[in-house]
Amino acid sequence: MATRSRRRVAAFAAALLAVSLAGCTGDEPTSDDLSGNRVGAMADYGVNSQFKATEALNFSILYNNHPNYPLKNEWLFWSELTARTGVTLTPTAVPLSDYEQKRSLLIGAGDAPLIIPKTYPGQETPFVASGSILPVSDYLDLMPNLKDKIAKWNLQPDIDQLRQLDGKFYLLPGLHENVWTDYSLGVRTDILAQLNLTVPKTWDEVYTMLKAMKAAYPNQYPMSDRWSKPTPGGSLFNYMSQAFSTNGGWGYRNDYWDASAKKFVFTGATDGYKQMVTYLNKLVKEGLLDPESFTQDDDTAIQKLATGKSFVISANAQELVNKYRPTMAATQPKATMVKIPQPTGPAGEVKAGSRLENGVMISKKARESKNFVAMMQFIDWLYYSDAGQEFAKWGVPGTTYSKDASGKFTLAPDVDYVKLNPTATKHLQKDFGFGNGVFAYGGTTQLLQSTFSAEELEYQKAMDARKILPVPPPHPYEDAEAEQATLWETPLKDHVAQMTLKFILGQRDLSEWDAYVAELKAKNMDAYIELVNKAYDRFAKQRG
Amino acid sequence: MQVTRGYRVFQAVNAVVLTLVVIVTLYPFVNVVARSLSQEAYIRAGQVSLVPRGFNLHTYKLVMADEMFWANYRNTVFYTVVATAVAITLTTCYAYVLSKKQLRGRSALVGIAVFTMFFSGGLIPNYILVTSLGLKNSVWAIALPNAISVFNLLVMKAFFESMPTELEEAAAVDGLDTYRILWRIVLPLSKAMIATMVLFYAVAFWNSWFSAFLYMDQSDLFPVTVYLRNLIAGATGAGSVGAADADLQTAANIQAVTIVLTVVPILLVYPFVQRYFVSGVMLGAVKG
Amino acid sequence: MSVPGTLDPPRSTPEVGKPPPIPAPPLRPRRLTWRRALRRDWQLYSLAVLPLLFFAVFRYLPMIGNVIAFRKFQPGGNPLGEYWVGLRYVEMFLNDPTFWNVFTNTLILGVLSLVVCFPLPIVLALLFNELTSRRLKRFVQSVSYLPHFLSVVIVAAMVMQLLSVDGTVNQVVRAFGGDPIPFLQQPEWFRTIYVSSEAWQTVGWGTILYLAALTTIDSDLYEAARIDGAGRWRQTWHVTLPGIRPTMITLLILNIGTFMAVGFEKILLLYNPLTYPTGDVISTYLFRMGVLSNSFSYAAAIGLFEAVIGLTLVLAANLIARRAVGTSLW
Repeated sequence: MATRSRRRVAAFAAALLAVSLAGCTGDEPTSDDLSGNRVGAMADYGVNSQFKATEALNFSILYNNHPNYPLKNEWLFWSELTARTGVTLTPTAVPLSDYEQKRSLLIGAGDAPLIIPKTYPGQETPFVASGSILPVSDYLDLMPNLKDKIAKWNLQPDIDQLRQLDGKFYLLPGLHENVWTDYSLGVRTDILAQLNLTVPKTWDEVYTMLKAMKAAYPNQYPMSDRWSKPTPGGSLFNYMSQAFSTNGGWGYRNDYWDASAKKFVFTGATDGYKQMVTYLNKLVKEGLLDPESFTQDDDTAIQKLATGKSFVISANAQELVNKYRPTMAATQPKATMVKIPQPTGPAGEVKAGSRLENGVMISKKARESKNFVAMMQFIDWLYYSDAGQEFAKWGVPGTTYSKDASGKFTLAPDVDYVKLNPTATKHLQKDFGFGNGVFAYGGTTQLLQSTFSAEELEYQKAMDARKILPVPPPHPYEDAEAEQATLWETPLKDHVAQMTLKFILGQRDLSEWDAYVAELKAKNMDAYIELVNKAYDRFAKQRG
Repeated sequence: MQVTRGYRVFQAVNAVVLTLVVIVTLYPFVNVVARSLSQEAYIRAGQVSLVPRGFNLHTYKLVMADEMFWANYRNTVFYTVVATAVAITLTTCYAYVLSKKQLRGRSALVGIAVFTMFFSGGLIPNYILVTSLGLKNSVWAIALPNAISVFNLLVMKAFFESMPTELEEAAAVDGLDTYRILWRIVLPLSKAMIATMVLFYAVAFWNSWFSAFLYMDQSDLFPVTVYLRNLIAGATGAGSVGAADADLQTAANIQAVTIVLTVVPILLVYPFVQRYFVSGVMLGAVKG
Repeated sequence: MSVPGTLDPPRSTPEVGKPPPIPAPPLRPRRLTWRRALRRDWQLYSLAVLPLLFFAVFRYLPMIGNVIAFRKFQPGGNPLGEYWVGLRYVEMFLNDPTFWNVFTNTLILGVLSLVVCFPLPIVLALLFNELTSRRLKRFVQSVSYLPHFLSVVIVAAMVMQLLSVDGTVNQVVRAFGGDPIPFLQQPEWFRTIYVSSEAWQTVGWGTILYLAALTTIDSDLYEAARIDGAGRWRQTWHVTLPGIRPTMITLLILNIGTFMAVGFEKILLLYNPLTYPTGDVISTYLFRMGVLSNSFSYAAAIGLFEAVIGLTLVLAANLIARRAVGTSLW
């Protein structure tokens, strides 16, 4: 036992050493000679061609295992994928609940599979410096469908946001044709009808509506919101802020891109942010918005809605259908609710958001593989070609779905998906492995909306009419700057979050706004913004 | 013996205090059970307290119909038994050694253990260690790295120290060696503490998920805690931003069901363990 | 107070304040040479071999990973860091005013939890022990363990419901004519809330150790105490408490050493920006900084700092315990 352990210990030390050596060699420039890496690749692979490896290939992939459709080896997805492309995927199954942690650990220990999907933009940044993941921007020529979509959908500025200090990017993001918004206000339409009100279009009209509700039901708060754990007002501030030309909630960033001045400003000190806070303070002060909205948990907020103590709450398509309506049906059968198009404000008819979805990182090890080119072609086909996206989402025509001449998708009668065929015996995700979050996302608006309900389509139509705000330009930091920025960012963000609530709840008077800005200055606000703009200028110059 | 009035008053106060303790601690659990049996809409509406509303076993069926659930449950039992056995053995041996005050180098031995309460390696070195020892995807990846909890070790040491030493001394005079003294004299006297330690380790291993999550690569090797954790994450919609995942996000009672399913086995085993405390306690035996 | 050292352990004389089960401490055994110690106690030492191997391989070996507190670590790169940065990460947090705020909060929450959650299990165990009906005792004990098994998420949800403006607590406040208090939005309430929920969850489970320790008390001691005319209260004071003293001291020292480790998950669920001034602790601060996922070096430096504090506290507590009551870890 003792000697065996000693040998094991030696093995551990050797392993540490091996990984550290691997770390050292990581910086050598990779030769761009791909002649040794073309085994299995197609010579004439292009846009809309069906990828088919010239010999049977096998790639390892990190797999985010969703509990609602747990991984099964007998899924049609796997066999059909192999039939169409000649590629077999070997998944390492990781529970969805802690996917990110395991991913970080596996990459950190040098033990990661070649294909690492389900990575959101920004999550790749920590791994860039060590050279453990592939700068995919160097190999776009192997991915014609991806290049085609970037050009066709005018996604270059969005893609540029991914660029790191070296000007390259390391993530193959999912791409949407259009900005897709989901969260907005859910409003009780039976109360609107009862009070002769119409659906509000602007935040001012929301105020008027809440006021009327309060007049009719003076002893309650007409609006009580959720999604405040762990970020207070996470959802509300997020979709509300674009109307006031700022950002907030889940989307809060200390740096706000002032497109007209072409520089970054500090979000929490902008006029737009102040307007938004002032507006919310008015709602709280007049008893229209429950002060507990920003500290209660979701169940409490839903409970208030269900028991008729509130009429307005943040919503998304799923929560509306799966939670709000069934809960109200059990307690107040007459209640009806819709998700209204996001109310607009001083910024006009705009919508903010990113067209980038989670995507794929490639392990650096893949570059050494003789099948590297084939792998990139395979990824391009599966994730970026129209055929691949349709396959991943809908499956096999005739078996799981059919498509008519106008491009309308219909599920096979015995297959269910998002309750489109509630009585069906089989399930597209659970029994076939399609519509899988690891492989199916993004794509054309038509494909995205092919599973939406009629009411959701109407909501999307209203939102699609709005102008898309430009995305902020990238400002990658140098190493030391990144560490400095983190140290400044968190206290600044905390102070903004704390004072936002105090102002809104009336615990601090809005006349003290200037004092608040001075406090931010004391927390290095100016130095921080200077750092951001410096990084932006440097990067802009460097890229010409 | 004379029962004083003061003692009667004390008994009454004690009864009241303990009744309060029972109510305050029992309520949430009854509530969890009720939630696990209720329809989701009533839970969301805040109408479930002690009695289930819209009684149904839907979520239980949903969870228990899954083969993976049972496979993982079997893993949990297996991992818990093996890991607890290893942990009890090592902890008892070491605690017994540390309890011997005359032992040369004892302080150093205690120090070696206490130091590790505060200093530990990071995640990545641990992962590389377990991987290079070839323990991945086996029960040893769970049992070995967690074989001694220093907290339990020191509690057990304190227990051994507080045991009367005459019997051991007598046994030594009779010519028993250390192993036999430990096995035949000390352990039989320590049933209560062994039971406690088994309980502590077993509950800890039963509820643990992190080691298994780190060192197991296939879902059929996971313990049930990982399964349930993932189920809750799926039900609450964490991480499912894509439209493709927009299915089945319901069941406010899944959390309640998972709690019931993980706690019930412990509660069933518990009375067998508890016998060892109750029989040993002396004050209760004194006639009041 | 104590009987001058005899080599015999104190026979069951319920001497005032005398810890009966402990062998007489004052006479220090003469130092043995290592060779003699090994020859005499080799069997004992052999029992320690496997545990020591465990500590060496699974605890001390991975500790070399802590070197990244002083080396720049890049996720995916060398697990032992890329290059030396000296004390940069230590200076980073020492110079960060927010760090000291959260450090103070951590200390205060830790001390409060210790002061509340350490003595309560002892009291409760003694109360259990006074129950005459065994069945009742068994029932009450079992019930008191239940909160230990509830997940933090459930406990936090319950706390939030109890303390909401419409919640039970505020209904009581209203019944007495008070104005409802938004407890969760007021920093001055956060510590009370955290510590009481912590006590609720841990106290019952904490009694198990004491109940086990109670089993070692020699029943002759109670007999003798009764013959000497000691009432229930004096029996508890002079027999029961001294009997469980080693366990108490051990737990106290351990708790003192680990009180910096306040419940990260619970705080994360209960606090909000309004209660940052009292509720934010080191682990939640690091979490918000994204350090837990990205900057392993910074987290390692703070981890070492906490470890040094913990170890110092344990050593100090141990020393004090040994001087004051003669029981200690060492």
